[in-house]
Formats: sequence, structure tokens, C-alpha cells
Amino acid sequence: MPGKFDIHVLFNHWDRFAEGFIHTIEASVLALIGSFVLGVIIAVMRISPIRVLNVIGTVYVEFIRNIPLLLVVFFFFLGIPSLGLPLDGFTSGTLGLMVYTASFIAEAIRAGIQSVPTGQTEAARATGLSYIQTMLHIVLPQAIKIVLPAIGNQFINLVKNSSILAVVTGMDLMYYADLINSDTFLPLTVYTIVAVFYLVLTLPLSFAVHYMERRFRSADR
Amino acid sequence: MVVIIGPSGSGKSTLLRCINRLEKISSGELYVNGTALHDKKIDINRFRREIGIVFQHFNLYPHKTVIDNIVLAPVKVLGLSKEEAAERATSYLSRVGIADKASSYPSQLSGGQQQRLAIARGLAMHPKIMLFDEPTSALDPEMIGEVLDVMRSLAYDGMTMVIVTHEMGFAREVADRVVFMDNGQIIEEGPAASFFDHPREERARTFLSRLIHH
Repeated sequence: MPGKFDIHVLFNHWDRFAEGFIHTIEASVLALIGSFVLGVIIAVMRISPIRVLNVIGTVYVEFIRNIPLLLVVFFFFLGIPSLGLPLDGFTSGTLGLMVYTASFIAEAIRAGIQSVPTGQTEAARATGLSYIQTMLHIVLPQAIKIVLPAIGNQFINLVKNSSILAVVTGMDLMYYADLINSDTFLPLTVYTIVAVFYLVLTLPLSFAVHYMERRFRSADR
Repeated sequence: MVVIIGPSGSGKSTLLRCINRLEKISSGELYVNGTALHDKKIDINRFRREIGIVFQHFNLYPHKTVIDNIVLAPVKVLGLSKEEAAERATSYLSRVGIADKASSYPSQLSGGQQQRLAIARGLAMHPKIMLFDEPTSALDPEMIGEVLDVMRSLAYDGMTMVIVTHEMGFAREVADRVVFMDNGQIIEEGPAASFFDHPREERARTFLSRLIHH
């Protein structure tokens, strides 16, 4: 009976839903950590006084941000293996997500760094701290607090974008949903259940972002 | 103690900020403590340890407690242990009269207390020179006195200080030498007493008379 909503699908195929859900969480968390670290590095490169680093950072951001995510994932899934280094769907999907999201996070952090008053840098450099020490102890801690809501939004996007793993057999929630659908022919049921799984991950993040936005607006430095 | 005075936009702060090269030295030569500052090859971080600076807008670190504002540079730059640095910080906090605020955040302090903390932060590096860039200009009038008192006590202890200020009474009382600037040039320079009583240059005379009459 295609088109009918049948909640039994959830229980009958629980093991595959659960496995997909766990892979989606794994891919999201790995890409989240990786894209944050990479994003900070690219952001610091973009504002550094060294011109070569500037150029590399800018090219990275403008190149990656302006091509489709699917293309970045295919680069890892099909491109890299063609050079003799095979990557499975999960790995190439997660790497693609990381590289892609990092470009957005880098832009958010760069804006945050530039919103820290120059007097902070001057005060730190005047005591003899190096550029890197100043970044690490003075500028970045303040910048990250400012851009935390923006980064939170990027993480929400990342969780949703992780469904791209389905395209490269990445064993994620969406991938298993497609399999379950072709076994049961109950697309409405299957994809509604999947939507609830995604919401379980993204709604708390969304509330956290709203909470941070409200707190930072009221907390006056 | 040297005081730099002059009308706004005359280059006082720029001159002061050249002394620790916060301002880029685009031409000419500048020697501080025998170091050729205009030479781009010198180790600027090493040089800057020996020069403290206090800014008009304090520039305290808002995400760090009062004591951590002071401790950071002695630990990271001079290599003191955390305990040594904390001990040193506490003694300077007492010296500027805010020892009880050690674990507060800068935003919880009054303007005068914030500026005294900034002075303590500079002193904790044991600098050879302390620079002050209009240290009382951003303060409410009733808080100016407490900051000037700290600076006065430093001067009496023999600290080498270069101060950009509009506090003429203070300048006259404690300065050894006065530098008068206008339009990016040093117009007149000499002992404080003779400058304030008998300025040689016309522009200095006009400047001083305008201050007295307002």
C-alpha cells in the first residue's frame, strides 16, 4: 500500500536506521572538529601580515565556497582514487564536508577577529608578545565568543549537508533511508522518520544558537 | 620624566608610539636605549619588553581577570613561573591600590581602577621606560586624581616616563622636561619650569595662554 504511513517501518528496520543515524553523527562530529580547526587556520592566514599566506587563504575560501558541495565530495570520492589512493564513501564524504564547511567557518572567524579592537593587539604586542601569542591568548578567545552563534549555524548546515554521503555510499542516515524505501515502497513513512532523526540533531543546535545570541546581546563587555 | 604637550593632531601620540614602534617608522632614524628602532631587523618583541605603555582607552583584556591581565606577559615573554608572576602581579596591584579586585573582570572596575590596572600591567614587566598616551583623557573628572597620584609616585621613585597629557598642572608639577609639538614638529623643548613660565616660541605662548584662559 504505497503512500500509507506505517510506523512499523521504524521498528522493522530499526537496525538500519540506527546504523545510519550513528554514521551521520560520526561524519558530522568528525567534519565539525576538522572544519573548525581548518577554518581557524585559514582565517588566521587571511588576516596575517604575510602576503603569501593571505593569497592562499583567500583562494581557498573563494574557490571552495563558490563550487557545489557535491563537487568537493566527488573530488575525494572519484578524483583522489583516480590518483591511486582509494577512499571509501564515508571517508570521502566526511573529508568533503570538512573542506567545504571550513571555508564558511573561516569567513565567520575572520569577521570575528577583525571585530576585536586593534587596541587589544597593540596592548599585547607592546608587552613583547609575538604575533602568534597575541592571536592565541588575546584575539582568538574574544573573536570566537563573538562568532559562536555564526559557527553554530554552520554546524547546523553541516549536519544537514551530511546527507550528501548518501550519494557516495557513505552509509549515513539518508543512504539507509533509500535502501529501506526500496525494500518497503513506503517513501512517505521512511523519509518522515528520517526527517525526525535529523531534527533530533539540529533542533538542539538551533536552540543553542538562539541562546548564545541572546546571551551575547545582553552581556555587555 | 618628559611630558609631551601640544594641540590635538600635532603628532604627540604618534611620537610616543614610535618609541615602542607601535607606529611604523617610515623614514628617519630613532634610537631608544641605544637600539636602532628604525632597523627592521631588530628583535622587536625583545625590545618591547623593556618599554611599558598605558593607553588612553586602557586596552585591558576583557576576557581575563584583573590578575590574569597582569600575569600573561611576564609568564609568556619573561618566562616567569605562574607563581612568581602572580606574586609580582599582587604586589603591583597593592601598589596601585586595587589588590582586592584581583579576581574581578576589568568591566567590573571603575574607569580610574581600570587605568590603574593598566599601569600595574605595564610595571609588572619591570620596564626601563613607561609611556603614557593621554592616560586620563577618557576618565571622568573625579577619577583623574587617583591615576595622576599613581603616576606621581612613580615619578618620585625615579621611573623614566614619557607622558602625553593635557593635564598642565600635573605636567608643571612633576615633569623634568617638556616637549611642545605642533603640526608634527617639535617646536620647543626644555626644562618644565622655564617652559611654563617663559616659553620662547610664539606658538607655545599662544597655546599656553589659551589653556589658562578657558
